[in-house]
Amino acid sequence: MLLFIASEVMLFGSFFTAYFFVRVVNGYSWPPPGFELPKYVAGINTAILVTSSFTVHWALQSIRRGNRRGMQAGLVLTFLMGLTFLLTQMIEYARVGFAPHDNAFTTIFFCLTGLHGAHVFVGLTILAFATTRAFRGHFSAEHHYGVEIPGIYWHFVDVMWIVVYATVYLL
Amino acid sequence: MTEVTHATGHHEAEHAAPPQGWHRWTAGGWLRALWMAPLFAGIGLGIVLFFRWLGHWHPLFEWNTIVVVAFLTALPLGFLAGIGAFDYWVRYALGAPTQPEDHSGHGARSWKDYFRVNTDHKVIGIQYLSTVFVFFIVGGLLAMLVRGELARPGLQYTDAQGFNGLFTLHATLMIFLFIIPAFAGIANYVVPLMLGAPDMAFPRLNALSFWLLPIAGLILVGSFFAPGGPPAAGWTGYASLSTHQPMGTLFFNMAVQWAGASSIMTALNFLVTIITMRAPGMTFWRMPLLVWANFTTSLLVVIATPFIAGSQFFVMFDRILHTHFFDPHHGGNVIAYQHIFWFYSHPAVYIMILPGFGIISEVISVFARKPIFGYRLMALSLLAILVLGFSVWAHHMFVSGMASYLRVPMMITTLLIAVPTGVKVFNWLATLWEGRIHLQTPMLWALGFISTFVIGGLSGVYLGAVPIDIHMSDTYFIVAHIHYVLFGGAFFTIMAGIYFWFPKMTGRMYNETLGKWHFWLTFVAFNLTFFPMHLIGTQGMPRRVADYAPKFADWNFFISVCSFALGASVIIFFYNIIHSWRYGPLAGDNPWRSLTLEWQVTSPPPVFNFDEIPQVVGNPYEYGVPGARHALLNGARTHELEEVGH
Amino acid sequence: MRVSRGAAIQLVLLALVAGGITTAVALFPRWLPLEASKQAHRIDFVIWYVTIICIVIYAIVVGLLSYSVLHFRAAPDDESDGPPTHGSTRLEFAWTAIPFLIVTSIAIVCAIVLARNDSAGATPLHVDVTAQQFAWSFKYPESNSVTSTTLRLPVGRTTVLDMTSLDVIHAFFVPEFRQNEDVVPGTTTHLVVTPTRIGTYPLICNELCGLGHTTMRSTVVVMSQADFDTWVKSQGKATATGGATGGKAVFVNNGCIACHTLKAAGATGKIGPDLDNLPSYAAHFHQPLDVFIRTQVTHPDTFHQPGFPTGVMPHTFAALPKAQLDALIQFLIASSKGGK
Repeated sequence: MLLFIASEVMLFGSFFTAYFFVRVVNGYSWPPPGFELPKYVAGINTAILVTSSFTVHWALQSIRRGNRRGMQAGLVLTFLMGLTFLLTQMIEYARVGFAPHDNAFTTIFFCLTGLHGAHVFVGLTILAFATTRAFRGHFSAEHHYGVEIPGIYWHFVDVMWIVVYATVYLL
Repeated sequence: MTEVTHATGHHEAEHAAPPQGWHRWTAGGWLRALWMAPLFAGIGLGIVLFFRWLGHWHPLFEWNTIVVVAFLTALPLGFLAGIGAFDYWVRYALGAPTQPEDHSGHGARSWKDYFRVNTDHKVIGIQYLSTVFVFFIVGGLLAMLVRGELARPGLQYTDAQGFNGLFTLHATLMIFLFIIPAFAGIANYVVPLMLGAPDMAFPRLNALSFWLLPIAGLILVGSFFAPGGPPAAGWTGYASLSTHQPMGTLFFNMAVQWAGASSIMTALNFLVTIITMRAPGMTFWRMPLLVWANFTTSLLVVIATPFIAGSQFFVMFDRILHTHFFDPHHGGNVIAYQHIFWFYSHPAVYIMILPGFGIISEVISVFARKPIFGYRLMALSLLAILVLGFSVWAHHMFVSGMASYLRVPMMITTLLIAVPTGVKVFNWLATLWEGRIHLQTPMLWALGFISTFVIGGLSGVYLGAVPIDIHMSDTYFIVAHIHYVLFGGAFFTIMAGIYFWFPKMTGRMYNETLGKWHFWLTFVAFNLTFFPMHLIGTQGMPRRVADYAPKFADWNFFISVCSFALGASVIIFFYNIIHSWRYGPLAGDNPWRSLTLEWQVTSPPPVFNFDEIPQVVGNPYEYGVPGARHALLNGARTHELEEVGH
Repeated sequence: MRVSRGAAIQLVLLALVAGGITTAVALFPRWLPLEASKQAHRIDFVIWYVTIICIVIYAIVVGLLSYSVLHFRAAPDDESDGPPTHGSTRLEFAWTAIPFLIVTSIAIVCAIVLARNDSAGATPLHVDVTAQQFAWSFKYPESNSVTSTTLRLPVGRTTVLDMTSLDVIHAFFVPEFRQNEDVVPGTTTHLVVTPTRIGTYPLICNELCGLGHTTMRSTVVVMSQADFDTWVKSQGKATATGGATGGKAVFVNNGCIACHTLKAAGATGKIGPDLDNLPSYAAHFHQPLDVFIRTQVTHPDTFHQPGFPTGVMPHTFAALPKAQLDALIQFLIASSKGGK
């Protein structure tokens, strides 16, 4: 999974490279005049996602100690928080007032956050499998790769969001 | 006392009965793919239409989007789902009980096993090799069409756009559908055997990554039927030409994604296999150089390939979503494409040669009956090329108008990368020195490779020198360089590898006389075709043109004729391989008297490779040392342990 | 690994033969075009410097290879192994250090040449180069913005070409000058040329730019300073006048000849429709000739001529000054009616 994540980090890297060229090399103002970024809503979203990393970690720790209820609760919470993040993101997309085809700034904004959103979607799918199996009685204190691997992926999604949020919204 | 045990749980006799009646349409296989592929395509079409209706976008039937989503993404996914590439994971996801010892998808007993999802790395290796040669033929025929057009000045039988499509597809097929997967195929077959492993770490992922490849190839070949013709912006697909081309470009964008995904999955598999599944006693410094080469190549693939995926996504988005990644009128940057593209595509050329270096090390050592000279430095030079390979990408952009301060640092790193490559050449030459050289076909290819690859490498030194590159960039000198390193380099090593491991894969020996004829005809025709290209390039003939100044006519005619001879030489190869596969003499376990592990089992190997886990006790190239062993197996381990008194 | 004297002599001989053949290949064919600029002179020096190094290296490699194949060939039934030589740290060091020094020397030579070739001197001539699919046009900002479709340069004077593209990436390449640089939309790239030889040289577009890439060519005419000044004056007059003569200049100066055939302008381009047939095209679309021509020039592809691709003709001609546009249309009307 770690090698796969290395590969995915590089994919984000290519998108960040495009961002670099638009913002730094071309000197495009960020955001350009007339365009605004919903920093605060995104900030709350960030908090939600970061918290969800803690809940998935709690789920893994629980099953390591044999605590099934804790694992199930952790996974469900993580899934719900991730879903909230994604839905909030989609609502913001509808309300932000500009489209990807407007200019290079909007292009990078939608594509970088969109790439991340796609990864959140994949993460939610994997979490859904893990949660379903958790409720079906799979996993134990000895065998819990099925919780650990999605957890690693989810941490990657979370860390990536912090980087995306910082570069796109804050800097 | 330890007992020799046979690996448990290999239910070779147990094979699920083939499905009957209408179950044939629901069990994983071609019949199911026949209806799942159009079904998924329909769902894709529905998704596009739904969202376009929801967003009030006109026209509803936007064909670019529909082609990408429904035909280039959903339909292949449906095909994969249909043939059963996802079956195990779907059952896992749905929570069905898993069967870890289910080997029903493993091994080949008849030709049909080669046409389905098969988890046996040996079968997958042969699937790869057979598939890539199909696309090699298509790419080669395109090259013949290109040379036919260029044989005389003026336009013969193509128009300008058609010609652009010909060389674009030729290069794209050869790079993504031949060279890169050919090495993956050879490595898939050989590396687990060399490691003493029963298979790769993730056999099902391995099977999936193979099946992505014909999808990529069919998309490219299918692009001929796209309105506006095949992609015609060169295999490099520079923006902003590619963002304004007809629909064929989308086929290129998507095919690269499928091929790239296949490549990344395979690389992940190799890395985990090499790191975790080496036989006991096989430290990193006891691995054969082919394994080292695939290890470094896999690292390159995992890190670099996402960048070409990104670059093609951006071109697609610019075309379909009208984004502005590369649109200078709205803040985009045109040269950004080149940086992102070449950040992958330069490591790609190392992906296309490092496994070849590994093959040559194996072949030269065996056919000179000597250890590889400087084994450790050979492994380290692979790592040096890996690291340096990420620092040289802008040497493809010396005349691109990029920031001029980048040129000198990139020139320095580019010239430096010649050093570890040169080290490898000198080490091979030193291996030959005082060896006992046997000039069978694999060795001929290896020696031919050294002579042609050195020319290609030296022409690369010319091009690394910025002032020279300023003159030679985008001329036929570049075409000569490319073909000397990719044909005289990578292709020659693929030939060496195929002839070398043919007896292991098929159990039969190829015809040596035909092999020699193949080599010499190719070697001579290759040099006659491509060496003059250096000359017309420096004289000023640009590349990617369908017509040229009259002063280049004689050389172009000569080159075209020689290229037809080169094209014909592959007929000998195919005849030899196919005929020998069916009727060749039995080859035995180890016709080349090699020490590496794959030669210590039968030809072809048993379904799970080894009857017992080998114990590695020495390095793989101990020729000339009487009694030296690389590994103990087949009961020898127990016997020797007894002798030593354990 | 001892090498006997006999072996060493044979090795050297083989290397000399290989080197000799390689040197002959390097010397006999005419590898490089005429040297017509100062930059070319410096680049040629680098080429020969690298060539000598490559000949030596290749001779050594081929010498070793052929010696080994000749002397260490085993009989077919010989099953013995060679000596188990694993390596030699001294040799490894040597063949790492020496190539390292060689490539370092190449890098230094190149960096110096690059700096010299890029320097434009105190008072260079500036020429604006505009590339579009599929024609070149040049403007002389220091000479009242005189325009031309061939590049005229005075000999001996350093010129800086300031280049931009109107659509996709092109490249400016004159083999005799050895100078080559991409022409990129959205930015201006620069090239320094100091012509040293009077003559006419081909200008080639050197970056795939679409279906007209092969035909996107022009010429560079290097003239004496006096001739250059004369040309600038006469060119200024030609583009300033209106009327039919002026219209022909507009037709030529905007690169129409690259894609179209028109007898009156001596154009034989095949990418776009034959403009000698304009009246029949207009009739086919039921348009009066002048309306038809004006629409097609300012809004290409409004009327799609079967057999020709769409999306190729530039949309930039709508921005031509009114006088030039009118002159162009007059010229086309007159020419296609069979007038000279």
